[in-house]
Amino acid sequence: MALKESEAIVLRTYPLREADLLVTLFTRLEGKVRAVARSAKKSRRRFGGALEPLTFVRAYYEDRERQELARLDSCEVLESPLSSEVSYPRAIALGHVAELLDELLPEREANDAVFRLVVAVLARLRGTEVWMPITYFELWMTRLMGYLPELSECIACGRTLNGGRAFFHALADGLMCAADKRLASSEISAESRGLAAQMFRAPVESFAGAPWPKAQAADLRKFLLQTLQRHIEKKLVTAAMLEKIS
Amino acid sequence: MSKFAEPMVRLIDELKKLPGIGSKTAQRLAFHILRSSDDDAEALAAAVRDVKASLRLCTICNNITDVDLCVYCSSATRNQRLICVVEEPTNIAAIEKTKHFNGVYHVLHGSISPLHGVGPEQLRISNLIRRVEGGQVDEVILATNPTVEGEATATYLSGQLRRAGLKVTRIAMGIPVGSDIEYADEITMLKSIEGRREL
Repeated sequence: MALKESEAIVLRTYPLREADLLVTLFTRLEGKVRAVARSAKKSRRRFGGALEPLTFVRAYYEDRERQELARLDSCEVLESPLSSEVSYPRAIALGHVAELLDELLPEREANDAVFRLVVAVLARLRGTEVWMPITYFELWMTRLMGYLPELSECIACGRTLNGGRAFFHALADGLMCAADKRLASSEISAESRGLAAQMFRAPVESFAGAPWPKAQAADLRKFLLQTLQRHIEKKLVTAAMLEKIS
Repeated sequence: MSKFAEPMVRLIDELKKLPGIGSKTAQRLAFHILRSSDDDAEALAAAVRDVKASLRLCTICNNITDVDLCVYCSSATRNQRLICVVEEPTNIAAIEKTKHFNGVYHVLHGSISPLHGVGPEQLRISNLIRRVEGGQVDEVILATNPTVEGEATATYLSGQLRRAGLKVTRIAMGIPVGSDIEYADEITMLKSIEGRREL
């Protein structure tokens, strides 16, 4: 079969047999693809640092007849997370992006919007400033996967929430007004909802530069994570680690 | 009905649990053990038993040892004020092969790996901090792997160790000796340019 060429993001690798690696790639051409990188564990000569998680590469791979796994021939690094300092918060944020993509994306289904989102967010994920790119990524991923409910009206009574108080609950499919909120609901501020609206209108670059402490839009991130975790029906390992970053 | 007698099946099943050993290899090894002398088979069994019974972690550096302290921590000729931090006990052998490092070690038993839920609290960092806080250490060399996980671990450790006011260094990264620059990948080349030294 002919060798395919595509830009791709390396999501994660698993050891396979004695010397091989099983690589999960998010390719621009075909979406999530799982491929075997022969001898990648034993010898670093062929792939070098190209198989590190969240490396932006040009991947060359081929499908094998009647086999689910592709064969990864080679990777050319376009942008590596190792080209700038990997701080502890950045490592967790990178892991979070990789885990979300791995859990949310279906196999072999191209999604150019998500691909462009990841490339843009990774370019902003530098140093220890992780909260803005993470918020932007979670918000857009929730929307692009089709899981984001309407943020401006109550799911129970349909009344508009603009300017008023809004609440969310782990088992509810959207926001609720003060009158319809469930027991043990959390509040999402009007500022955070306003920020979400801004993020839908502007690229991630336009939010760079301004300080973004952990507390900013923390309620929005909690709502988004609850929504995502409800749909994938599991807890994200990296979400708990992000929570612990001070 | 099984192809082999029950003790043979049991041995094959146990050997199959070893990394890199599949059914065929396990079967071959099991038959090799069966054909070997009683003494050899007993020596193998005793070695497996001993390795589990007598090995433990050094209370200072977490290296695997049969005596506490390990050979490096108890050595009078090694520089106890210079600590090299590694991810796994097997990394020590690679550094010892150079015959140029005369300090001691500290084994973390892993690296920070968010995707696997491994944070600093799962690594053996607290006794490293205690070691350096005693004021008996001049320099800590961070020799974690040049991967995202190894880098994150090194960056985290340097932040913790600098508070103790000591010199923290990172092993160099770059082109392997004997290789060709033409075939070096972009990131390795970048790291070698960044880590260049004056001649």
